[in-house]
Amino acid sequence: MQRTGLFIERAGFLQRLNPLTKVTGVLLLIGATFLLPAPLTGAALLAGVLLPLAFVSLIGRRFLDILLKTLLPALISLVLVQGLFFPTSDPTTVAVGPLLFRRAGLQFALNTGSRLLVVAGAPLLLFQTTHPGTLVQGLIQSGMPRSIGYILLVALQLIPAISERAVGVAEAQRARGLETEGNVLQRIRGVLPLISPLIVGALVEAEARAIAIEARAFNAPGPKTWLRDIPDPRAEYAARIMMLAALGALIVWRIAWFFSG
Amino acid sequence: MNAVLQPYTPIALRNVTFTYAGATEPALRDVTLAVPAGQICAVIGRAGAGKSTLCALCTGFVPHFFRGRLSGDAVVDGLSIASHPIAELVRHVALVSGNAFSQISGARFTVYDEVAFGLENLGVPRPEMIERVEWALRALGIDHLRDRSPYDLSGGQQQRIVIAAALAMRPPVLALDEPTSQLDPPAMAELADVLRALSRQGITMLVAEHRLEWIADLAERVVALDRGAILADGAPADVLTDPRLCEHGIGWPRPAQMAARARAEGRWAPDRPLPITVAGLAAGLRAAASDQDSVNGQDNASCLPAMRPQNELDGVSPIDRDAEPIVTLDEVRFTYPTGVAALRGVSLTVRRGERIALVGRNGAGKSTLVRHLNGLLRPSQGRTLVGGVDTRTTTVARCARHVGVVFQDVRNQLFARTVRDEIRFGPRNLGFTPEKVHALVEAAIDALDLRDVVDEHPYDLPPARRRLVAIAAVLAMDTALLVLDEPTAGLDNASIGLLMRLIDDLAARQRSVLVVSHDLDFCYETLDRVVLMRDGQIALDRRFAELDDAEMEALDEDVGLPIALRLRYVSM
Repeated sequence: MQRTGLFIERAGFLQRLNPLTKVTGVLLLIGATFLLPAPLTGAALLAGVLLPLAFVSLIGRRFLDILLKTLLPALISLVLVQGLFFPTSDPTTVAVGPLLFRRAGLQFALNTGSRLLVVAGAPLLLFQTTHPGTLVQGLIQSGMPRSIGYILLVALQLIPAISERAVGVAEAQRARGLETEGNVLQRIRGVLPLISPLIVGALVEAEARAIAIEARAFNAPGPKTWLRDIPDPRAEYAARIMMLAALGALIVWRIAWFFSG
Repeated sequence: MNAVLQPYTPIALRNVTFTYAGATEPALRDVTLAVPAGQICAVIGRAGAGKSTLCALCTGFVPHFFRGRLSGDAVVDGLSIASHPIAELVRHVALVSGNAFSQISGARFTVYDEVAFGLENLGVPRPEMIERVEWALRALGIDHLRDRSPYDLSGGQQQRIVIAAALAMRPPVLALDEPTSQLDPPAMAELADVLRALSRQGITMLVAEHRLEWIADLAERVVALDRGAILADGAPADVLTDPRLCEHGIGWPRPAQMAARARAEGRWAPDRPLPITVAGLAAGLRAAASDQDSVNGQDNASCLPAMRPQNELDGVSPIDRDAEPIVTLDEVRFTYPTGVAALRGVSLTVRRGERIALVGRNGAGKSTLVRHLNGLLRPSQGRTLVGGVDTRTTTVARCARHVGVVFQDVRNQLFARTVRDEIRFGPRNLGFTPEKVHALVEAAIDALDLRDVVDEHPYDLPPARRRLVAIAAVLAMDTALLVLDEPTAGLDNASIGLLMRLIDDLAARQRSVLVVSHDLDFCYETLDRVVLMRDGQIALDRRFAELDDAEMEALDEDVGLPIALRLRYVSM
């Protein structure tokens, strides 16, 4: 059972970077997608930055696979709806078979769609190349509260555990003659015995877990240490400063451009 | 003048009384207990006697997490429990309780990191952390699991992770609340070795436990609790054979029981103390035998204690081999979608009135086989007949008319507001008349001794009684075959006695029982036939009374032997 979310273990380029560097990169990419006004910004960032990064991190195929499977329905409807019905005074059309697409609509769909791909693709690449434990440790070390980090990690690991519990509950109740294979009415009657052990179980579990982390000194006063060291070379620190500076510069430039325009 | 130097006492309780918030009766009454450094002090008692409360008190969870009224003095490793928060006490005392799954932090992805989690929180420097984690993994024999996810492991393995995680924190005092509840016999023996080694290093341990045989081998001192008060306190050999233990439903370890029976039959010297270990029992029996040899030259074997299952002594008629089959597995093969072949050609017939023990190591295929008995799983090849109908052509709910299954994790089963509603659910599903449902429910309540709690919420009961509720709920379905998965886990001797009587009663009414268990003594004393699974196949299928040497050896190798058979096996 996969308990580490989207993470794929490979020895590629991004996997070696400090998680904070990657988080900063994600922020810069998403910012740039919206702040850069030029047409096709998203497409350029996707083809010029995200895809090459995915391939040097040895996960190119699985990156594209998830990205397209998730976004393809949205992209197709974007092209159809905007391409056919975009309100514009520009009369230019492009004929594809029997369909007449408006050129401005297609352009809009292309701009929006490629931005969407970057906005979804940048975090996807982060999660595919960063172990969730490392990511949370990195964030906690740079100031995120430990309790929030704990909640994130527990959620990630417990969701598969809860779905396994659900199987166990269904087995126990079917063994007591609960008909789950019958008509709709029978199935509705069967919901309570299936749901309540899960909910009661989760509440009992929450108490037990609170005891468990107390017993493991989670709230002990004093400085904490970490079993694993997350390397943070000076070059990456510098890269983060430059990326943040670039993002700042983009924002300033965009505001100035807005007021001058 | 020099003051008298008080020896260091890691656990010092004086006149401690504790009542949980909302409860009317105290959970601990006037408990006074001083445990010296390095001692392994066992705490025994019936379910609800206060064992868990005592463990929680010594670690500060009572009264800081579970609130209530505390009086008296409780001092652990020099710190007053009442005036120090748990966050501070964890450096001095660690708690390990029975349900391993909920004690895994969930914050770490591998066993190695999980064991280190507490050390990170304590701020232990990295080189020392690594050294301690490596030591704890080796001590519990889980070094090979270091890169696995704790959630992908068996209950027994998780239990060892949790203990390793507590040990790595190097507390001078350790409180273990039913640490063996998910362990099989070999793992229990290993844990006992680990605890003895820790004791030699000066770590003080409080071990609350139902398994008296294990305690007899391990503890240096035994404290028996009854309704929150100390009933007996002293050396294991004295406390574990104290007649008051039987009067208060705690019982004796099996070797003591067997020696007492032998004494009643004149096969144990009246002046010889009762043994608490198998070795002591064997020695006493040999001594008695050689005495008699010198008197009348009798054969050794006739002096061994009653070794046949209890039920044969009771005169229950032997199994009718032509009785009507309830379930028939015919060359069943089953492969999970993951590709694991869990059953590799299993043929088994369960007839009316049979009492069967299904045993085998973890992963031998027992759970998969149980899920075939009521159609939850259907064979990949071969066929299963339940009540004469192929499971491929019917539903699980219909199979439930013939076969009732109580799974090990009762939390998955219980959902109703009251114990009575919970028990009523099964027979109602089967469509019985209201009168019949009522009669079955009331009979099940009495059979499992639940009359005093019928209107309570199942989750408000202690875990042991919750298990009895789960059993009653399936019993009330009045099926021809009742399947119990690890029914004795966490049960005290009194509840186990209840279960034994229930099984005898079912057999007398021509109902069949199949028990999956690691508790070979329970199986031997209660059931007739033993089915040993190994690698997805049936390695052995015999009646206990008919086992030959080679078969006993096979059984011993995989799951160990019951004490009675071990005596015979050793003596031959």
